[in-house]
Order: sequence, then structure tokens, then C-alpha cells
Amino acid sequence: MKKQNMFFRMITASLVRRRSRMLVALLAIAVGATILSGLVTIYYDVPRQMGEQFRNYGANMIFLGAADSEGLTPDAVERGLSYIDANKLVGVAPYRYETVNINEQPVVAAGTDLAGARATSPYWIVSGEWPAADGEVLVGEDIADVFDVKAGDTLSVSFTPATAEATTAAEGEDAQEETNGIEMTFTVSGTLDTGGSEENYIFISLADMEALTGESAAYDVVELSISATQNELNAIVDSVTENVSSVTPRLVKRVTQSETTVLSKLQSLVLLVTIVVLLLTMICVATTMMAVVTERRKEVGLRKALGASNGSITMEFMGEGMLLGAVGGLLGSILGFIFAQAVSMNVFNSSITFKPLLIPITILVSILVTGLACLIPVRSATDVDPALVLKGE
Amino acid sequence: MSLLEIKNVSKIYGNLHALDNVSLNVDAGEWVAIMGPSGSGKSTMMNIIGCMDKPSRGEVLLDGKDISKESAKRLTEIRRDKIGLIFQQFHLVNYLTAVENVMVAQYYHSLPDEKEALEALERVGLADRAKHLPSQLSGGEQQRVCIARALINHPELILADEPTGNLDEANEGIVLELFRLLHREGTTLIVVTHDPEVADVAQRTIVLDHGKLSREIVNENFHD
Ligand SMILES: Nc1ncnc2c1ncn2[C@@H]1O[C@H](COP(=O)(O)OP(=O)(O)OP(=O)(O)O)[C@@H](O)[C@H]1O
Ligand SMILES: [Mg+2]
Repeated sequence: MKKQNMFFRMITASLVRRRSRMLVALLAIAVGATILSGLVTIYYDVPRQMGEQFRNYGANMIFLGAADSEGLTPDAVERGLSYIDANKLVGVAPYRYETVNINEQPVVAAGTDLAGARATSPYWIVSGEWPAADGEVLVGEDIADVFDVKAGDTLSVSFTPATAEATTAAEGEDAQEETNGIEMTFTVSGTLDTGGSEENYIFISLADMEALTGESAAYDVVELSISATQNELNAIVDSVTENVSSVTPRLVKRVTQSETTVLSKLQSLVLLVTIVVLLLTMICVATTMMAVVTERRKEVGLRKALGASNGSITMEFMGEGMLLGAVGGLLGSILGFIFAQAVSMNVFNSSITFKPLLIPITILVSILVTGLACLIPVRSATDVDPALVLKGE
Repeated sequence: MSLLEIKNVSKIYGNLHALDNVSLNVDAGEWVAIMGPSGSGKSTMMNIIGCMDKPSRGEVLLDGKDISKESAKRLTEIRRDKIGLIFQQFHLVNYLTAVENVMVAQYYHSLPDEKEALEALERVGLADRAKHLPSQLSGGEQQRVCIARALINHPELILADEPTGNLDEANEGIVLELFRLLHREGTTLIVVTHDPEVADVAQRTIVLDHGKLSREIVNENFHD
């Protein structure tokens, strides 16, 4: 028989026939490897997942009014939209911005189709409710802080036409009376948290905006959320540009921006967790091996008495540890995929792609980690004095 | 010719002389028993002869070579190549079968050979127990596995420290019969025992007392 065969026979016998002891270590390695391979899978798959999510539901195109044209009238927008497949249009939110006054302070008000805004900006977080009817207002977090309002409160908003002041100066006191602004009282339905500039705005319906300003002007911008590939989006931009002179369509990447910040934060978190998990696994394996070596001092003494060199003893314990690492790593790479799949299904509602390369990598890392963890315990095994151990006890 | 020459050997622990100026010659092929009260230094002497310990003073010549000042690594090699050990507690690797336990000794010595290991087990009457774990064997059977393991590499010298200490009479008989067989084949045997019956079957009995050689009895009616 070859020497290696006996070596393998001894270390497998040790693992198989001494199950309970080694199970603890195996469990630690398997759990470590599971989390490791699971997190790495998620690490690489999440960007793709999140990208799809964002692009599917966030605004990815805007309409702007073309220079020297009638502007973004509802009619022009309607014509622009006719070039987009209705099935692919997730949401349309036209915006009209005006500067209004609250408590004599200028504030930007956005008149919009609130249902459309909700569809194009699914990541907005509203405390309270979205406005359901005219006369209700959604207040950006910052504005809510400044004026100390919350859902359910009322907010008085006034509008003074910009042209009014110029006219006043020219035509005297009488005119001022006529053009004095309109004041309306809104009910705050909720406050808005977006992490962006929207927190400085208030949002009201287009009808309220008309009532407040007393006129129906063109939109400033229309946000669109379209479920389409990059090529399809480019095609839409081209045909709208060509056929609707008053509309300038643009693709936007604003959401992608926030997407990457979220991602990089998420990925560094994953990295941190991975390192912690690896360390914990190593500590657990090292303590288990330490206990195993202590428990087997007699056996070590016996082997030495039979003529085992320190090198052989080291090889045998390392062999056991690394075999354990390999088995744990294999188990972990399978469980890790299941774990990642479960996370992906729960969070993103879509399955992840299987990466075969991850199996050998996980096994290799597990072997390395267990090997490293075994170094100190194995050293203590070689210190055993056969004479003392065999003396009886 | 002497296989083993112990010259003025002392082993001192603090101010306790576990062995005190002991000298002894053992010829190749001889069967020697060592007796003496508990604590008289029998195991200490066996450890020194077995290359597991070094004397504080004196020389130990094995095959004419002084082993008293060798390095631990070299002692391991000498032990592996020349000596077979049998202990009172039947030290077996508990997760290896009987035949695997015998093969461990081959593994460290040269090459494991399952067939040869099985033959050794057959010699000690355990052919049908080869695949059993130590926990599935009786004490006598375990000790016989130890003997099979001790003789597998054909050592020049077999050291047995109370090999029958934990055995009943029937098993003691089996073990002694095996020793007789080994002796006939020319193996040198040194057996530590408390049991006069075990000592009586040896050619010569050395008695230790407080680390000193107190008596030496030659067995007149020794027979193979
Ligand atoms: N490592 C040690 N450190 C200190 N003293 C020791 C050590 N080993 C043995 N001794 C002492 O040396 C003396 C001889 O011990 P040894 O084990 O040789 O006795 P023994 O003759 O084999 O006894 P027993 O018949 O009980 O096995 C004892 O007093 C023992 O306490
Ligand atoms: Mg003793």
C-alpha cells in the first residue's frame, strides 16, 4: 500500500468515526463558507438586479420645451407620447414650477399629476399620504422643517405674479390692488423624503396650480418612466425629436447616480461582513482544533512512541483540518447559492445566475482558512512528550 | 554479544533518584523480566531503553551505540527502527480498526501493508477481529493487537511495561505464549511486571528497589 493511501485512510477515519467532535468544526466552516459564497454571489449579482429595478420603474426620460416654440403644452406632450408604446409607459409626470410664498418666504411649488409622479419616482418615501384630491399638498422634508408642518396640518400659500410688481412700479398704487396675489389654504397630506432637491419643494395638483396662479401655462418638464432597452429609448428620442418640434426629449441618468452610491455602500458592507465572518470562522475552527488536539494528546504520544516525527504529526492534523475545510467549503458553496437565491427571490423577486467558478474558489478559501486556523493547535500537538503521555494516568 | 548495555545510569528528578547508578547487560535474544515495588523506577528504565527519555547520568548502548545523548529526532528514528513497545494500558488509536492500528506502525516505519498486518493479527489469534474498533474488543484482544503492532516491523528489542497488568489469567496465558514464540524466533524481550508468574517464564529476573538494582535471579528451569 502507498503511504499516501494510509495517510488518507487515517485522516478520513478520524473525521468519519469521530463525528461529533468534528461536526462542530465542520459546521463552523460550512456556515462561514455559506455566508461567504452567498454574500459574494449577492455582491456580484445585486448591481445587475438593482439596475434593472431602477431602470424598470424610475424616470429614465424627460421632455423639455424646445427653444423658440410654443413650449411644452399638454397638446405637444400628447403628441410626443404618441411615439411611445403605451404598454411600455410606466408613468408620466408633467411638472410646472412656480415660486410661491409661504409666510412671506419664497418657496418652489411644483404642480404635477401626482399619480404620475408616484409612478415615475417609486423611491420617494412619503410620511403620511400622497395627496388624493385637490386642496392637498405634499411638502418636502426641508420645507416641512422650516415651517414646522406635518401631515394633517394646513398650509397657507400665496402667489404674486412676477409681472405684477413691475406693473405696480410703472402704473402706480391702483394697479397693485388689482394684481394682488391669490392666497389658498392647503391641507398637508404628507411629507416627502427623497434624499434629493425635491425635499425643498411642495407638490400640488396641476388644477390647484392653475387656481393659485390664475393661468394655465405650459409645463416646464415632463418626466417619463419607460420600460425599454437602451436602444428602444434611443429610438424614441430620435422619433420624438424629428416629429414633434416643440418637444426636446432627453434620456436621464439621475437615478443611476443614486443607484451607484447605494451600491457602493452596500458592497462595502458586504465586504466588511465577509471579513468578520471569515475571522469568526477561523476563531471557531482554531478553538475546536485546540480542543481536539488536547483531547488527543494520548494518541499523539502513542504515534510518537511508534516513531512518528513532528513532521508526520503536523501533516496528519493539517490533513484533517484541510479535509474538513474542503468538505465544509463544498457544503458552504452549495448552501451559499441557495442562501443567495433566497435573498434574491425575497428582495428582488428574480433569480440569480449560478457561477460555477465560485465552488472551487469557496473550497480553496475554506481550506486556506482552516489551514491557517490549525497552525497554532497543531504546534501544540508536536510538543507532546510520548514518555509522559504513556506513563499511565 | 550484548544488544543493550546500561552503564551507571541515573535518572534524577529534583532530589529524587528514580534510577540510581544502575548497570545492566542484556544479550541479543535474551528474555529479561524486571520486577520491583511501585515507584522503584521500572517504567523510568523502560522509557530510557525505549528512547523516550534520556538518563541524567551514565551511558546506554544499544547495538553498541550510545543513545544517551542523541537528539529527540534521532531517538524517534532509533525507536521506530529497533524497538517494539507494549504498554499496560493498551494504547490503541480509538478510531482505527485493529488492522489499521497495526498498519500505523508500518506507516511510520516503512510502508503500510494490509496483508502483512492481517498476518500479524492472525499470529495473535485475532484474524476475525481485524475490522473491529478498539471499543469493540475485549481488554485481552486489545493487548494482543498491541503485540501484533509491536512485532509487525520485526524489532530487535520488544519492551513490555506490565503487558498483563490488566488481563485475566486466560489472556495472560495467551500473551505469555506469544512472548515464548517471539523469544524462540530470536527477539530480545524486556518485560516489566508485578506478577511473579510472568517473571518466572523469563530467563532472568532483575529486581529494582528505590532506583537501585537490588537482586538478579536466573531462572534455572527456563524452557522454551
Ligand atoms: N516526570 C517525572 N517527574 C518527577 N518524578 C517522576 C517522573 N517520572 C517518574 N517520577 C518518579 O520516579 C519514580 C519512579 O517512577 P516509575 O514510574 O519508574 O516507577 P515504577 O517502578 O514504574 O512504578 P509502578 O510499578 O507503579 O509503575 C517515582 O517515585 C516517580 O514518582
Ligand atoms: Mg511503571
